[in-house]
Amino acid sequence: MNTIWALAGVVIKEMYRRKDFYVLFVLTALITIAAGMVNFFDDPKIVRYVKDICMLLIWISALLIAIVTTARQIPAERESRTIFPLLAKPVTRGQFILGKFFGCWLATGIALLVFYVFFAIITGSREQYWPWLTYLQAIWLQWAMLAVVIALSLCGSIISAAPSSTTTICFIAVAGILLFGGHLNMVALHQSQPLQTIFYTIYFLIPHLEWFDIRDRVIYDWGLVNWLDCVLATLYAAAYTGLFLLLTWLGFRRKSLNT
Amino acid sequence: MKASPYLVLAFVLMVCFTLATGIEPRASTWSNRTKSNNVFSMLFGDGRRLFANQFFTMADVYFHSGYYPSIFDLREEGTKEIVAATHGQAENEEQEKKEDFLGKPKDWIDRFGRHFHITEHTHLEHGNEREILPWLRLAADMDPQKIETYTVGSFFMRMHLNQPREAEAFLREGLRNNPNSYEILFELGQLYDENDHDTGRARDVWQLALHKWSKDPEAVKDNKLFFEEITVHLAQLEREAGNWQQAINWFQAAQKVSPDPNALQQRIDEIKKKMAAQPSPTNSQPH
Amino acid sequence: MSIILKTEKLRVEFTSGELRQTTKVALGSLDLEVNVGEVFGFLGPNGAGKTTAINVLLGFVPPTRGAAYLFGIDVRQPIARQRIGYLPEMTYYYKFLTAEELLRFYARIFGLPRAEADKRIDQLLKLVELEQARKRSIKSYSKGMQQRVGLAQALINNPDLLILDEPTSGLDPLGRMKVREIIQRLKNEGKTVFFSSHELGEVETVCDRVAIINQGELKATGRVSDLVAQHQANLEKAFLDIIGYQTQSAS
Ligand SMILES: Nc1ncnc2c1ncn2[C@@H]1O[C@H](COP(=O)(O)OP(=O)(O)O)[C@@H](O)[C@H]1O
Ligand SMILES: [Mg+2]
Repeated sequence: MNTIWALAGVVIKEMYRRKDFYVLFVLTALITIAAGMVNFFDDPKIVRYVKDICMLLIWISALLIAIVTTARQIPAERESRTIFPLLAKPVTRGQFILGKFFGCWLATGIALLVFYVFFAIITGSREQYWPWLTYLQAIWLQWAMLAVVIALSLCGSIISAAPSSTTTICFIAVAGILLFGGHLNMVALHQSQPLQTIFYTIYFLIPHLEWFDIRDRVIYDWGLVNWLDCVLATLYAAAYTGLFLLLTWLGFRRKSLNT
Repeated sequence: MKASPYLVLAFVLMVCFTLATGIEPRASTWSNRTKSNNVFSMLFGDGRRLFANQFFTMADVYFHSGYYPSIFDLREEGTKEIVAATHGQAENEEQEKKEDFLGKPKDWIDRFGRHFHITEHTHLEHGNEREILPWLRLAADMDPQKIETYTVGSFFMRMHLNQPREAEAFLREGLRNNPNSYEILFELGQLYDENDHDTGRARDVWQLALHKWSKDPEAVKDNKLFFEEITVHLAQLEREAGNWQQAINWFQAAQKVSPDPNALQQRIDEIKKKMAAQPSPTNSQPH
Repeated sequence: MSIILKTEKLRVEFTSGELRQTTKVALGSLDLEVNVGEVFGFLGPNGAGKTTAINVLLGFVPPTRGAAYLFGIDVRQPIARQRIGYLPEMTYYYKFLTAEELLRFYARIFGLPRAEADKRIDQLLKLVELEQARKRSIKSYSKGMQQRVGLAQALINNPDLLILDEPTSGLDPLGRMKVREIIQRLKNEGKTVFFSSHELGEVETVCDRVAIINQGELKATGRVSDLVAQHQANLEKAFLDIIGYQTQSAS
């Protein structure tokens, strides 16, 4: 376990020393503030617009940070040959993967926290309203979803060596699930028999990342998700994270590291 | 004892599947966001309305062939000229001085700068109006609740581009998104009346519009002009159809809110003269 | 005398090409035994298979056939690497860390307690003469400094067996001398050092025993003095003889 945390620590250090994430944060902050300025006076619903745009940016930024950081990890270790002195230590391949996973996940979590604090300050200062339990749920569910995304990217980075292609493929897959994953059952409904079963199977097998999108509750202040549902969602995310990590390990454990 | 990793994999996959089927019905209550069919609303939620205003403005910019006061120049935000054009109020544009259009030059730099911009107050015409349609289409996608988008779009399609069917479809889309919009119903009625010359449908739609208007307390309070406009339209419709008594009834209704009841009285008198000369067959009351 | 490093009929094949059609035998059937407390030179020309053999020892490359053991433990088990130090052929480290952070990270992996780690880090940085640069990030280091960081990380766990892959390649004469000095020092401390090289000058001065391989096959093993005596020449000549460079001489 100590090994895993040590590995994770390096990933986190890398993230805040490489400074990619500052760029995204500043961009999000600027766009949100700019959106808040435009038409500020002639639209009473402006706070909600700004919230929506800020939330969207947070989602995109978090996904970008998660996928880009993760997809780079293992290829960069191999490219720069830092993996050799590392794996020459008593570190198993499994620990290596878990360390990378937790590092990326925690790093993304930190970024997410920074984004949400910014969001809470911007909206809270406008509305004088701090529904912190809702924020907590939103951030938790989003973070749980990102765990699946990170595990998926890690798995992708084992299969394809180029981080850019891994990033692109993962981003398309995740965006596809987020946008259309929830509609696959509707598609299935309109198909004839063999196709229908296939579509339904896919529908129940893909990780439904879109379930974790509870932006509406934050923006329209709908109140909290049932806590039991939160626990179930967390279990669901954990199961998929485990699945992808297992696949990653299966692909990596026998991999020859000779360049 | 060590389980084969593939067995574990199969087990985890099963757990995922079970959880998915179990959670699926619950998940639908967590959020509405991803159930939407509109990609824009899924991404931006209410934030897209911010863009809707922008696109609507863009349509207006195109209408003016490019030059347009920037947001910093906008003196009084309100009806865009593109909207005014649909109400036939822009016919006096000849009198609009370009200085009025952009406002007086604020300083010498501004005055100097105007040598380089299109400062001519121009409007699109001869079918070039179609350039504004993509913007309106986007505006409608971004903010389906923005009524003006539909009425303006329909107006240009049926009046300038000779596409009444497309206009009708666009209005129907607007109605689906805003079932209580009396403005869209009014525009639809105009389409049936002016383009299709279908008196029956126009009458039905207008009466429905009037009904919706009366059900909307805010509109009743703030938009009395609409009541006049629609009753006058109904009156004219009945007059064309030869239903003189109904025409008179509608004109009388309009008189109650009109700022100029005498003008309406004149028209009533004209009809009464005609009635005296040639009595109308029908004599029923408007509802 | 107990055996600390051992390979048995080790064979490594690399398949390449789109359809995995071409097979390259990097190691034929390698048998090696290294005793505790020895400095063992692993010699061979470029492409002989030295790095490949070391990669098997560290578990980076699975052997096609045969087996390898460290401390009597199969190299496939990570615990076999608990008491070794390794310096790769080309060294690069996390550029965004400082030397101190890097060493602390590796110390954590070995599970060293904090106080002990601090002590070792101080010692090692002094040994490799990086004390002034310890708080600078590694990306600002010269190649020689990076090589010395590599040496320090190889020693972080106070290993009993050191595996060095061409530790002096790319260093200037002063750097080479330093590395030789360190190897000598470790030997005096009773450590075992296994290092590969194709530079015979340094081998001659520090090694107890050498193995010479060429094209994946073991050609000779033994004490340096024995080999020299056997070929009635200096080590360089003997080496060239053994790898069959001079066709007229018998081996
Ligand atoms: N990944 C690989 N795929 C194919 N051939 C390889 C691979 N790695 C090494 N080889 C080949 O194996 C042989 C031994 O290489 P190596 O062990 O690196 O030699 P050296 O003794 O110089 O360290 C070389 O002929 C090399 O071309
Ligand atoms: Mg080599």
